[in-house]
Amino acid sequence: MTQNYFELFNLSEKFEIDSEKLQENYRSIQKEIHPDRFATSTENEKIQSMIKSTHVNDAYQTLKSPIKRAKYILSLHKSVEKITLPPNFLMQQMEWEEHLEDIEQSKNELVEFKEAISKEYEQCFLLLKTQIDIEKNWNEAAITIDKLHFIEKLLNKIKITLN
Amino acid sequence: MALLQISEPGKSTMPHEHRRVIGIDLGTTNSLVASMISGSPTILNIDNKSNLLPSVIHYSKDNILVGNDAKKLLSKDPKNTISSVKRLIGKTIGDINQDNFPLNLEDGDGVINIKTSIGIKNPIEVSAEILKSLRTVAEKKLGGELMGAVVTVPAYFDDAQRQATKDACQLSGLNILRLINEPTAAAVAYGLDKKSMGHFVIFDLGGGTFDVSILNLTKGLFEVLSTHGNANLGGDDFDQAIVNFLSHKYKLNIKDIEIQSTISILAKEIKESLSNNKEVEVLKVINGKEIQETFTREQFKTLVDDLIKQTIEATKSALNDAKLSTDEIDGIIMVGGSTRMPCIQEAVKSFFKQDLLNDLNPDEVVALGAAIQANILAGNGQEDLLLLDVTPLSLGIETMGSIVERIIPRNTTLPVAMAQEFTTYQDGQTAMSIHVVQGERELVDDCRSLAKFTLRKIPPMVAGAAKIKVTFQVDTDGLLSVSAEETTTNVKASIEVKPSYGLSEDKIKTMLQSSYDLAEEDKNSRILAEAKVDANQLIELTQKALDTDKDLLTESELSQIKNGLKDLINALNSSNKDKIKEATKKLNSQSEPFAAKRMDRSIQKALTGKSINKLEL
Repeated sequence: MTQNYFELFNLSEKFEIDSEKLQENYRSIQKEIHPDRFATSTENEKIQSMIKSTHVNDAYQTLKSPIKRAKYILSLHKSVEKITLPPNFLMQQMEWEEHLEDIEQSKNELVEFKEAISKEYEQCFLLLKTQIDIEKNWNEAAITIDKLHFIEKLLNKIKITLN
Repeated sequence: MALLQISEPGKSTMPHEHRRVIGIDLGTTNSLVASMISGSPTILNIDNKSNLLPSVIHYSKDNILVGNDAKKLLSKDPKNTISSVKRLIGKTIGDINQDNFPLNLEDGDGVINIKTSIGIKNPIEVSAEILKSLRTVAEKKLGGELMGAVVTVPAYFDDAQRQATKDACQLSGLNILRLINEPTAAAVAYGLDKKSMGHFVIFDLGGGTFDVSILNLTKGLFEVLSTHGNANLGGDDFDQAIVNFLSHKYKLNIKDIEIQSTISILAKEIKESLSNNKEVEVLKVINGKEIQETFTREQFKTLVDDLIKQTIEATKSALNDAKLSTDEIDGIIMVGGSTRMPCIQEAVKSFFKQDLLNDLNPDEVVALGAAIQANILAGNGQEDLLLLDVTPLSLGIETMGSIVERIIPRNTTLPVAMAQEFTTYQDGQTAMSIHVVQGERELVDDCRSLAKFTLRKIPPMVAGAAKIKVTFQVDTDGLLSVSAEETTTNVKASIEVKPSYGLSEDKIKTMLQSSYDLAEEDKNSRILAEAKVDANQLIELTQKALDTDKDLLTESELSQIKNGLKDLINALNSSNKDKIKEATKKLNSQSEPFAAKRMDRSIQKALTGKSINKLEL
């Protein structure tokens, strides 16, 4: 039950993962242990299948999301401390939020803004890959994760406004 | 070890025997039952005429009528004729608009009471009558007792409604294999028949509910990406739009129950006729007033424009949740009789800019899919299909200031468990109350209250020292259970559940008992027979598990299980129901670690690509 999530899916413990392999292995496992496979089975197997299937779902959701995955890797290596974002990023956050409010009505500007923020996301993502997989700089990675988290939420807001 | 084989007809657990199972679409307006016959899902017809059983029940001193016979009495005896009971199930009186029901409704304890001439009935009992009727049809057609059923519910149903539906199944004597979402069942029906892959929209407009779901279908795996809808929008509302138009124009008093019933039936006829004809002539006398009207499709469309818009808005929300745009959709499956309306077809078609999948009968799709799923769950089919469903609504708890803290967000794949830590705020505090709500809104009052859990026996400590881990588990039927533990001392807190809706377990038991009009002797022999079937199944499956995976056990574990097996076989020979039950329980708990190890082995084997037959139980 406490098995490392990466081991569970037969993946090496890295931020950059083969998401197709993750999905494929997740499905192969669920096909064997999902409670539906034990609908007419004994009580003890029903209970165990529920427990394992829940665990596998949790592990999959963690590894599937880049932010959760990064946080998980960090949790394997260091105790999580409260981190503070650099002031210039906080300023940047406010500017972005204001900008979104200003252009709410303009589809063209929204599309442009979405592209710009998507680029920011990619940059952060690449940075995180280096910080975790190569430099193993957990403290810097923790800050990048928080940034990425904010950018992801902003992107969702833009998408909803667009629709 | 020589094993005893006692099996009852229809209840055998022999692996290669076909088990009699059914799929049920328990609809607001009509219900259907289907089963796999010679390898294809087939609707079992109700009375050799129709495949649909109207979800209407009539109570009188002489008998209980279900279906068409009851429907005929809708306008004659509206107080004792119950239709659209699905709109009442799992709800309380405050949730509904009583004006929409020509029934005598009142507040029951956690349920709505329906006052009929033969006494008070609740929606669970009424639904159980429909299920009983379908069960009888199926047993007759399939030639014997049923092993189990898959019953569908709208994807939007909350915990209380799902639980109530499950209770109704239990009351009707059906063994429920699984509750599945209606749109998911529809996709199963289409997916297997057509071997589809990609993102699919299931647009389900039934008699009383509307659901739109986005599914991802790949390699025999169905994943629900998002669901949206409105549990109070359906074909009935389209009828109502015509009712409102006519009653306003001809000044008909719809407060009069007989007039309301008559005009409702007329409205339905007009609507259905417009699906096949461009215009309809109406000439009818109601309450001495002559109604003469020519309805066109355009006119109807104007009357229901707001309803159509609501369905499209919900579709947009579902797409947003799934993070998809219309051009990423590979197909749109139309479900529910109301999707026959041309105005709906046009609206959906133009929103997605593509043709619709509607070649299966939209009334039957859900029941067919449920039958396929039941067949798979029973282990009859060889289909390599797995359904991964999601939580329909977010689950949260009440925090300071009546704000909801979300614990399990909507659209999380099931089964799921999330733990949350709480602490005490007073020295020596030994009890704590947790209020669980379901819904997407920020304030507790805007969400649906599910239950209040009271944790007791928390070890007394100074304020803030106790760490109480509360685990919320939602199973594959979408039903919630809660457990709690104080983590610094590992003391399990006991939990008292007070469901905000529905019936307590005791009440269900009482209802079950009173529904069996069996003599005490018959009851006992039934319990003994059931205990024997369970025991035999456990023996057989344990033996099989040992055959393949004995090597996972230590000497002492193995001998413990073997002893448990021996005890159970001895108990079986004694034909004492209590002894058999006790020995079954013991062997079940003894085998739990073994089952866990086998599960781990299955995971390993799943990834090394070896096929494992032992799990095809």
